[in-house]
Amino acid sequence: MKHRNGNFITLAALRDAFAVAIVCAGIMTGLATAQGGQLRFCLHNEPKTFNPLQVDDDAAASIRYLTGGVLIRLNRQTQQLEPELAESWKVSEDGREISFRLRSGIAFSDGTPFTTEDVAYTVQQLMDPALHSPTGDSFRSANGKVETKVVSPSQISILFPAEVAGLDRLFDQVAILSQNSPKKEMAVLGPFMVADYKPGASVLLQRNPNYWKRDEQGRRLPYLDSILLNIQPNRDVEMLQFKRGELDLINTLDSEYFDKLASASPQLVHDAGPSLDSEQLWFNEVAKAPIPVYKRDWFRSANFRRAISEAINREDLSRIVYHGHAQPAMGPFSPANKFWFDAALKPPAYSPDKALQALAADGFRLENGTLKDRAGNAVEFSIITNAGNKARERMAVLIQDDLQKIGIHVNVVTLDFPSLIERMTQSFDYEAIILGLTNVDLDPNEEMNVWLSSAANHQWNPQQKTPETPWEAEIDRLMRAQASSGDANKRKAAFDRVQEIVVDQQPFIFLINKNALSAVSTRVHGAAPVILSPQTFWNAERLTVSGN
Amino acid sequence: MFWLKAQRENKMHSLHRKIAGHLLALLATVLFGGLLSATLVRLAPGFDADERVLDPHLNAASTHALEGARHRDDNILYFYFSYLIRAGHGDLGNSSALGQPVRALLRERLPLTVRLLGIGLGLSWLLASMLALSAAWLRLSIYDAMTTIVSGGLLCLPAAVLALLSVLWNLPGSIAIALIVFPHTYRYAHNLLVKIYSRPHILAARARGLSEVRILFRHVVPVVMPQMFALAGVSVSMAIGAAIPVEALCGLPGIGALAWQAALARDLPLLVNITILVTLVTLLANSSADVIGSMLRGQEA
Repeated sequence: MKHRNGNFITLAALRDAFAVAIVCAGIMTGLATAQGGQLRFCLHNEPKTFNPLQVDDDAAASIRYLTGGVLIRLNRQTQQLEPELAESWKVSEDGREISFRLRSGIAFSDGTPFTTEDVAYTVQQLMDPALHSPTGDSFRSANGKVETKVVSPSQISILFPAEVAGLDRLFDQVAILSQNSPKKEMAVLGPFMVADYKPGASVLLQRNPNYWKRDEQGRRLPYLDSILLNIQPNRDVEMLQFKRGELDLINTLDSEYFDKLASASPQLVHDAGPSLDSEQLWFNEVAKAPIPVYKRDWFRSANFRRAISEAINREDLSRIVYHGHAQPAMGPFSPANKFWFDAALKPPAYSPDKALQALAADGFRLENGTLKDRAGNAVEFSIITNAGNKARERMAVLIQDDLQKIGIHVNVVTLDFPSLIERMTQSFDYEAIILGLTNVDLDPNEEMNVWLSSAANHQWNPQQKTPETPWEAEIDRLMRAQASSGDANKRKAAFDRVQEIVVDQQPFIFLINKNALSAVSTRVHGAAPVILSPQTFWNAERLTVSGN
Repeated sequence: MFWLKAQRENKMHSLHRKIAGHLLALLATVLFGGLLSATLVRLAPGFDADERVLDPHLNAASTHALEGARHRDDNILYFYFSYLIRAGHGDLGNSSALGQPVRALLRERLPLTVRLLGIGLGLSWLLASMLALSAAWLRLSIYDAMTTIVSGGLLCLPAAVLALLSVLWNLPGSIAIALIVFPHTYRYAHNLLVKIYSRPHILAARARGLSEVRILFRHVVPVVMPQMFALAGVSVSMAIGAAIPVEALCGLPGIGALAWQAALARDLPLLVNITILVTLVTLLANSSADVIGSMLRGQEA
């Protein structure tokens, strides 16, 4: 009896367990296969174009990411290149030629077949010198014509006039256009397509019915029906809309909002760690700048710049300004850039005493709490930054306080962005600037226009005819060497040396690397925020939204 | 009889002269306003700067091309006169910041601003008239004090604060416009109505037992109409001024937000067109109010 009863209980338990398992499996499968729904988030400015080759603003770049089909995609999570429209690719040893083998049976959103001619057409359009687009310019390592050769219906090779460093990686930004579609650039190969655009208000993206990708279970991607991009420049409004449940994610969040949101709903916020972006201070070293000669002499002294760097308490900047959501910066690249970051670098230790010693080596001395140079000029300068950027304004004030401790009087001035750019790039009427560098790419080649002494974005002393200092000459040589080498290890060694020189000479006094902060609603499933842009929707084709 | 006819003709002549004068003044002011706006933008610091030159991906040729595009508008007189010639053919130029035709931008954004201003002004006038009229009817010092405190409080609040409150409380932007314009219209309407209602003939009519509605429509409205029309013209300018912070802060894609964006980006073609449009609307509103007021005064006389 007992035995029978026991058997009965076991059978009942098995039956119940089976039923529960079926229900759970149903729920899990439901979650895993949940399709449909609309994802909603904000663009912070009006997209200037829907032509993916002309993109030069964040809003248009987001739309290109979501709608454009690329030959090769940089996986934002692993930072590795993955095949997309190209099944495989090969870069020649001299780094001038890249050959692609394309997937077959793919069509644009309007049904036009995707062919090698489309790739050739896109490259020719992209390399048109009159286009003046950042995407095209990234490929332009030398003057000359780019040749495309259709080898077979599924193979194409592209030959550049000179070596292009990191050539394959650059194709992550090149959305393929259709040569024959009557819809021109509105025919796309990406997971979504532009369905509606209300200027100033929103862009509606709908699932591309012809998208070629399927998930591991063979289901068509993307899972979402649509994405509604609200054009909303006001971050306060964006935050309110997110709190009200009118938005599903905030791609980049500042630390203040992050903490406010975290205190109320910690499950909504994500800190993915240090991003590629940096904030830095630099001094005006331009020979023709309308500043007193003795000040320019200070700014051109490496000892002076090192002393300023050592007198700045970066831990405080991170703790007070960014509420701990930033790391002291060491050099041109943040540790988030796994391959190119030079792990041997250490952030300059905060030491006002060491700063004063470095200054003494250049003849500076403290007199009644005021630092004076050899000629008796009190050390005083202005830092300008862009008005409205609270973090930079606060950093400037903290730096003002830090430098006061070594007898340097700093004036903080905020200007609107166009005025600041004019002073920085045209009149050179400034002493020091705090600004940020937004890195969207991992490769140092993308920063050639910053590190070459002849470049316009060599901010502290741009467009030099010949390098004015030996260390700038060495950086020029190293940057060119890494750009012309196909060997990743050699390139890395060259750029490590560049990073060491920059840390030693401090032309940019790197302050902090901000963390990549974002917010994602619990309605969104599959989100895994990362540090590379677009942080929250890099895997948009696999996201699902419940409850709508 | 002949004398009456001559007098009527004289009045019509005077009205026509007034309308012609207004139109001439309007044209001159619009043209001057456009030139002034263009000059101010050109002289503003940062006019020559383009944020895009900071993009490290751009090569020297692209950077020069961007700078060259900016310098095209350096000669402001040349820019303005060529703009006027093109505008005469219906081409309002291209926005340098948004890269789109100005004509399309204005056409897309105008309906929202017109709706915002229309509802905002309507609400503000309804509220101001009702409160002012009830204050004049009731003549209760406590009621007067309460409405004065409310309107005074709203008058003290900057437009941006009211716009932010409307964002916070999820209210339509037109409510913010209404609350910004309301205290100005209310104070004027209140003072005017109280003054009219204390006139001897109104007091006598009330003493003789005439209904308030009859007094309002027969003895008050005809007297206050010319002045209320003048106030209406002024309130349109106030509402247009308020639309810039309201649209910019509430994230409403209208002409106000466009003007704000254009100013931040030193977008010369867009700013000149918006200035001309706003000047035109303001002057038309004021001139219409003036002409209608004159006609009503003429009828009254």
